[in-house]
Amino acid sequence: MDIIAIKVLTKDYALGNTTVQALRGIDLAIAKGDLVSIMGPSGSGKTTLLNVIGCIDTATSGSVRISGREMTSLSDRQTTDMRLHTLGFIFQTFNLIPVLTTLENVEFPLQLQKRLARKEIRKRAEGFLHDVGLGQYLRHRPSELSGGQRQRVAIARALVTHPQIVLADEPTANLDSATGATILELMKEMNAREQTTFLFSTHDQNILRYARTVITIKDGLIASA
Amino acid sequence: MGLIFKLAFRNIRRHRGQSLVIGAILFLGSLMMTMGNGVVSGMERGLRRTVAHGFTGDLVVLPKGQLSDNVFMEMMGRAVEPLYGYPALKAALDSNPLVTAHLPIGKGTVMVINEDDGPSVFLYLIGVDFARYAEVFPDNLRMLEGGLPRAGAAGLLLPTGARKDIQRQANLWFRTRQAGPDTAGMDDDARLHTADLSRKTDMVLMGFNDGNTATDVRLPVDGIFRYRALNSIFGSFALTDIESFRRCTGYFTDAERSQGRLSGKDSVLLALDEKGMDALLGGDAMPPEPIVLAEAAPVTATPVPAAPAAAPEAALESGAYNMVLLILRDGVVPDKAAKALNAYFAERNLAVRAVTWQKALGPIGSMAILIKAALTLFVTFLFVVAIIIIVNTLTMAALERTPELGMMRAIGARKGFIARMFLAETTVLSALFGGLGIGAGAAGILVIEAIRLTSDNDMLQLAFGGDTFRPVLVSGDFLLAVAQLALVTLFAVAYPVMLARKVSALDAVYRE
Repeated sequence: MDIIAIKVLTKDYALGNTTVQALRGIDLAIAKGDLVSIMGPSGSGKTTLLNVIGCIDTATSGSVRISGREMTSLSDRQTTDMRLHTLGFIFQTFNLIPVLTTLENVEFPLQLQKRLARKEIRKRAEGFLHDVGLGQYLRHRPSELSGGQRQRVAIARALVTHPQIVLADEPTANLDSATGATILELMKEMNAREQTTFLFSTHDQNILRYARTVITIKDGLIASA
Repeated sequence: MGLIFKLAFRNIRRHRGQSLVIGAILFLGSLMMTMGNGVVSGMERGLRRTVAHGFTGDLVVLPKGQLSDNVFMEMMGRAVEPLYGYPALKAALDSNPLVTAHLPIGKGTVMVINEDDGPSVFLYLIGVDFARYAEVFPDNLRMLEGGLPRAGAAGLLLPTGARKDIQRQANLWFRTRQAGPDTAGMDDDARLHTADLSRKTDMVLMGFNDGNTATDVRLPVDGIFRYRALNSIFGSFALTDIESFRRCTGYFTDAERSQGRLSGKDSVLLALDEKGMDALLGGDAMPPEPIVLAEAAPVTATPVPAAPAAAPEAALESGAYNMVLLILRDGVVPDKAAKALNAYFAERNLAVRAVTWQKALGPIGSMAILIKAALTLFVTFLFVVAIIIIVNTLTMAALERTPELGMMRAIGARKGFIARMFLAETTVLSALFGGLGIGAGAAGILVIEAIRLTSDNDMLQLAFGGDTFRPVLVSGDFLLAVAQLALVTLFAVAYPVMLARKVSALDAVYRE
């Protein structure tokens, strides 16, 4: 069963008077529970592809289905709910809410969901922070954490809602190689344990060994899969 | 909501500088607004205390035929319609629970005749029963010379404002017979012109009436006085006994009515001797010679028959008046009382109507409303400036926080959540600093009220609404301040919220 099914996906950007074709007819299918790395040089369309899959950006044409549901025709509210309940995001720069503690940052999407009781939320968030090795840093603010620690918090926040898919755009780009390796190991471990589908983009050949499936993208087209 | 307010409080702390700028504006705005409202309310209340309880009463009952409500400050002193049948009205008022006291008066414009062939001067004249006047408006007159006329005797009380006007326009200086030296009571300006001033102790008044005839009366000046407060406004209104007023303005006096005689103007015609009649018809001796009402007044003109005897008090009331001034029970709102009384009068087929003291005073009565409007305009201007500054600051904050807001959107926060978060931050600031401003304003009002600033200065008394500056904080003003603050908050936050709502999840990615 393919959790992500993409057909003839195109994405054009207007750049002044010219139109840039970031994606030029992508066809792709990703199986549930896969750990996929999207490779490609800068400007190849990796981030655009992740954004369209993650309902952060809209497609110009084509079809994107997640768990069988067509994403390209959803309203703003529906895509927001999709991001909240079905998708998890890990950004390049560890985007955390600066005024919340580590624990509160992880609790944040659960509080938006309003599905669990206060105690449940706390228990689950603490559990995920322990899992990513930050059990000692629950009350710390993001500014009191290192880059690697912040990215762990972001991973915990992405996973805490038990999303079907986690999208990570160059999650190790701003980390040193050792910390980056730890983060990828963690993602691999979570993928195995939670059966969550992981898609991460990278242009670093060294981290390919963590992926089960590698997709190469070049000039807005799938070069190899 | 807990999460939103947690974020709001922490963001306020995080952006302390920006929060303090917004807070300071809200604090000062609320402080000024609260104090301004308190001052205007105090002035309004002071005006009621001073004007209504010292000059006009809370309500003024007018004859139905009197079309204009403004009966005191009408341009050119247009005549007020006469009010007859006071005894029936009195009985109705005596039995009405809203009314605690009432005073019938005559009010008109007369001319002070210059017996030295100089220019004559207009004067507002109020006719009253002095004993009743003192009961209804106790401690209202500050006598500088002389005192009230003897009971039942004709006489005049001249306020300082009118005396000054007459001195300036006609070089006449009126004083009581008991006054001290020639210069007693004179201000510096009058003293400079003592050589030119003609001293008088009697005043000849020429009244006008609808029949286009005029009647003169000579009255002794029994007293010179100041009104307790707002003498600059009311100091033009001289007081005389009601019978002299009626005679002067040509109304049917009670003495005449009780003796089956003619009205004042007709009795004057009958009283004229041959010489006077010739002069009257020939037109070269107008105005006719004055009637001497007071026994002690020096007779300087053609003698006339002795002044009519004063009517008994009960019978005095059956003559003509122009209006009745009502004092309402404490706590009764004049507007509502006027409506209730008008219905009450209609039930009893009384051809009268009640108007509030503000309406009866015309523009002066609306002064508090005008000042309040001006102050509201000023406060609105302040708030517009405040809104612009707050909008600018919040807009900058929204733009600065675009990546953070975009990230929130990316992980599932709806537009409404972002809007509520911004609104909560501004609401917390408003409640905190605006609340402090309102509190400080209220404290300021209490302090000023406790100090009880007093002034004899006419202009200051006008601003104070009386002789004491007593701002008050009424619940309506307090609620108004809170409502204005809420409105400012909503206006100030609307545009930044709109910007924040437009932040998309994509902004989090592109701003990285």
